[in-house]
Amino acid sequence: MELADRAVGFLLTFTSLSIFTYYTFWVIILPFVDSDNFIHNYFLPQEYAILIPVCAGVVLLSLLCIFIGFVLLKSKKKTA
Amino acid sequence: MKHVLKLFSLLVLISALWISLLQASIIPQSHTWLLPIYFIVSLGCYGLLMVGVGLMRFPTCPQEAVLLQQDIAEAKDFLKQKGVDVGSE
Repeated sequence: MELADRAVGFLLTFTSLSIFTYYTFWVIILPFVDSDNFIHNYFLPQEYAILIPVCAGVVLLSLLCIFIGFVLLKSKKKTA
Repeated sequence: MKHVLKLFSLLVLISALWISLLQASIIPQSHTWLLPIYFIVSLGCYGLLMVGVGLMRFPTCPQEAVLLQQDIAEAKDFLKQKGVDVGSE
């Protein structure tokens, strides 16, 4: 039982650390590297560095609003 | 209401810092534009990291679990003697 917990925890830490290092590289280090270096093949073009977090944030906010709307409608149906 | 004011003042401070950084051009301008998004993403990453680390270090106390099971058995016996219906098996 605790092994499953440990595995999930390890997966979460690994995901978060990898996302952090990838994003740091993308945003901060890559603009200082020459544009014909081989490392640029591993990273998407820089516009996506802004697009992906903004899209994810918008999706998260909309899901939150939908959930709140659901809960409000359900509670209204119960009292009415 | 006061907590909201505190948060709002913090937000105003951070945006003022960002705009001053933009004007002063200590860091190249393209970097300064990306800075808020970078901080938000890193904050989310930090939260995820804390959750993962907490999950990994969660203590399970196996001795306490055994003692608890013993206590449960004892309580069931006692209540059965007194006539309370403890039929859960």
